[in-house]
Amino acid sequence: MPKKTQTETVTLTIDGKTVTVPKGTVAVDAAKTVGIDIPVFCYHEKLGPFGCCRMCLVEVEKMPKLATACTQAVGQDMVIKTDSPKAVKGRQGVLEFTLLNHPLDCPVCDKGGECPLQDNTFEHGPDLTRTEFTRYNRDKAVPLSPVVTIDRERCIACQRCTRYSDIVEQETALVMVNRGFQNRVQTFQDRPYDTRFSGNVVDICPVGALTNTTYRFKSRIWDLDNAETLCAHCGVNCNIVVGVRSNEFMRVQAKSGENSQANDAVDDGWICDKGRFGYGFVESSNRVLKCRNGKGDTLEANDALGQAATQLKKITDEHGPQSVGFIGSPYGTNEELYLYQKLFRQQLGTNNIDFKTYRQTPGLPVEHYDVGDIETSDMVLLIASDPTEEAPVLDLRIKKSVSFFDVKLAVLNDQKTDMDKPAASSLRYNVGSEAEVLSALIEALNDKPVRGLEKTAGIAPKQIKDLAATIQGSGKVCVIYNPAALTGSASDRILELLQTIGGLPDKQCGAIPVAPGTNAVGALDMGAHPNFYPGGLALSDSEKIKTLWGDEAPLQPGLSALEMIQKAASGELKGLVVFRANPVVDFPGGPTVAEALKKLDYLVVHDMLETETTQLANLVLASNGPGYDDGTTTNIGGRVQFRKRSLVREDHPPDWVLISRMIRALDPEAPSYKNSFGVTDEISQKVPGYEAINKNAIKGMGMPRKGSACSEVQGNGAPAAEKSENGALRLRVANYLFAHDKILDASSPLSHHFKSSTVYLNAEDAKALGIETGDEVKVVSGDAEVSAEAEVSDRCNPGAALVPRVSDEQGLMALVGDPDAAVWVQIKK
Amino acid sequence: MFAFSETSEKEIEKQLVKYPPERKKSAILALLRIAQQQNGYVSAEAMEEIGRRLDLSPAYVESVCSFYTMYYTRPVGKYVIMFCINVSCHLLDCDNLLEHTAKKLNIQVGETTADKMFTLLREECLAECSRAPVMRINNDYHVNLTPQKIDQILDSLK
Repeated sequence: MPKKTQTETVTLTIDGKTVTVPKGTVAVDAAKTVGIDIPVFCYHEKLGPFGCCRMCLVEVEKMPKLATACTQAVGQDMVIKTDSPKAVKGRQGVLEFTLLNHPLDCPVCDKGGECPLQDNTFEHGPDLTRTEFTRYNRDKAVPLSPVVTIDRERCIACQRCTRYSDIVEQETALVMVNRGFQNRVQTFQDRPYDTRFSGNVVDICPVGALTNTTYRFKSRIWDLDNAETLCAHCGVNCNIVVGVRSNEFMRVQAKSGENSQANDAVDDGWICDKGRFGYGFVESSNRVLKCRNGKGDTLEANDALGQAATQLKKITDEHGPQSVGFIGSPYGTNEELYLYQKLFRQQLGTNNIDFKTYRQTPGLPVEHYDVGDIETSDMVLLIASDPTEEAPVLDLRIKKSVSFFDVKLAVLNDQKTDMDKPAASSLRYNVGSEAEVLSALIEALNDKPVRGLEKTAGIAPKQIKDLAATIQGSGKVCVIYNPAALTGSASDRILELLQTIGGLPDKQCGAIPVAPGTNAVGALDMGAHPNFYPGGLALSDSEKIKTLWGDEAPLQPGLSALEMIQKAASGELKGLVVFRANPVVDFPGGPTVAEALKKLDYLVVHDMLETETTQLANLVLASNGPGYDDGTTTNIGGRVQFRKRSLVREDHPPDWVLISRMIRALDPEAPSYKNSFGVTDEISQKVPGYEAINKNAIKGMGMPRKGSACSEVQGNGAPAAEKSENGALRLRVANYLFAHDKILDASSPLSHHFKSSTVYLNAEDAKALGIETGDEVKVVSGDAEVSAEAEVSDRCNPGAALVPRVSDEQGLMALVGDPDAAVWVQIKK
Repeated sequence: MFAFSETSEKEIEKQLVKYPPERKKSAILALLRIAQQQNGYVSAEAMEEIGRRLDLSPAYVESVCSFYTMYYTRPVGKYVIMFCINVSCHLLDCDNLLEHTAKKLNIQVGETTADKMFTLLREECLAECSRAPVMRINNDYHVNLTPQKIDQILDSLK
């Protein structure tokens, strides 16, 4: 892969056309720039030159034999002929060999219609076959994994999939075994190929050998309506192409060179398996299709939203604006969240608006980096984040940057992750000591002495100093962190760290906050925060707020999501709207949250799937959600993209319509919007940083919004981590994107990724507790307990119990109280 | 479970010093050979162990192992007969000779006799065209084969 920073160019001639391209470009890519399409099978621009299939033979003047255009780096004054008789005959011969044993089953092959082998044969192949003997028959329709099927006889051994597994996934799970005719794609001992990114091999397979098991024989590709849209599972917002036939969901593909153009600033043309095989929620039997009241009577959408709006208004009239609140979701679009905050601030007069249970404020003290910036950084500092489990495509990008662009990766985490392998250095601090570690790192960066951290954080001062020296020695530093995994004052320390790194001499620094959810960055930008208006305007910024939102704009600080639950329990909060969130399962406290919600006078739940929370609602508003609604989202890199709908629902209004009608129910003067971009246009006027965002600007690849300024970094130093009593262990909850929840339900084709409840213990603690790997244990905190299987490992330092959130049924959040305070658990056999 | 023996470990040590630590995967052929020497064939567990030693995925080890016909992935007999079937031997009737051998041993090509004495395999070219037809038994070449000669050789090994 040529470095993106290559500036030297060469000029050559291809089929009489003059081409100037960066030095190191291969002939295939050079030809593409002037519209000459050299056929390929094994070559893929994201995998680099290989040259095994010989499809791309061209004639190069002064070279004695035909050359493969995919491996031939172009040179100055080179003369390449792709259409000379010699080249044409060469390619024809190659195709004849390629087709030697390939079955002629195109009419029933799922690849038919979008098959490079079909296309290349049509354009470059021989008219007839000379094969008179029996073809070599091989196995048909063998499951390579529960979601990928391989038809071995269609395979032309181009090795794209095995090289993808090696170069992109870097797991080398898929290999070629045997040789010659026996050559075949295989995993070790035919075990399932069940990596998180296995589905990408379906996209890149240039024949029908690797197919999407869930799409086999479901549709012909020319019958599909393809929507270029976004994945709605994590914060990367990968670009996907959703194929739909007669308004019925058929398949998801990555948006890549195969069908369009990859969005290199976001996903590099790859998606994870949850993005590809986790789209079933659009047709889940668990969907909320109709609005209903608490008694279960179905309501027309307009009646329901009218009731919600007037009832909420009635509560504020009786009990004041602080008596209602809104708990949103990082899964909502910018438009939905913008309109909701508008409803609550302008019509109901409250700042009780939030979407999260962790501490985070809008804005960064440094630039907000795009995902693509990782490649051009000198160093990536990964803090408290496990991209492999939380935002998988980020994992691919980091590995690529380390392997091919010499980016130094430093990991700072309280748990062992897959990122330790590509990391140049990897520090594991004790669970709960992140504030201290970050403080120490800030001191080291300021060339102050670093105090001893061994006892409290499990890290030696020298390690911190070495890390600081690496940061100081790197020109461009990209800090990737998970705000949701930082406890206590660490959320302030991370900002201070960014400020410190950004302030170092000759330093470029940017950050990518990787919070859970699709649109956590957008939610903050849209003012789904009790202390900030849209665009990161702090309540203290009253002048600006009044200019944008009028003199009536509430300036009293609102309640955070958790405070709203507390006030609901105490009876001070009377009315609550929960938008596409499931606090009963996802919020700290678990069952106690349900008790609090039951005390509300009026609970409106606006969701697309039935949850434990919709069961408690006085009014359920049906949400169409991703797949059915248009809208924009802002990804972890601050890039605003359009999430187009792929399916149509005519019997229920889109969420942005529903919310805007709620606003109009209380204020008939409020604008109505023609389409979702109407709301986007209002956002561009009302939300600082989004001025340039509009339909045309974000078309195709999206566009970075301007990050809002960071409010002042709070406080100094960090309190020492709390100490354990009675041998209790500190609980660390790890997030897991492929969890068995409402989105990936029991019918999901990804059920092979579901994990059982497991508690990871350090060997030292396990020995003291007399627990061995495989023991069934209870993780106990107060009255709450969660059953799990113990695994003794070095995943975290002694003194901690790490439990990944693997399912809703696990009930893990029942153990957690205040997420800012330490949670101590006992492990009982 | 597969574990390298003490003798094997010493041999591995000798092989690993030949390569820089960051390129230790170059020792893969040597380790496969050592595993085969120890157990007679390279089992799946052995491939996993080699992968662990060299930081390679077990799939990669299997891929390399399966490329070379002289690594056996199943248990073989005391004597492994590799029968050349390439052009020169083919022209000199190796097909019938192979069939003759199989019949004599009472097995199919690719199988091992019940008494675990002989395994019969096809081999693409033993690089001995001048003395075709050729077969190789363990480390010895047997050339200019005839049915009688084959009978004689096999009888002498029983």
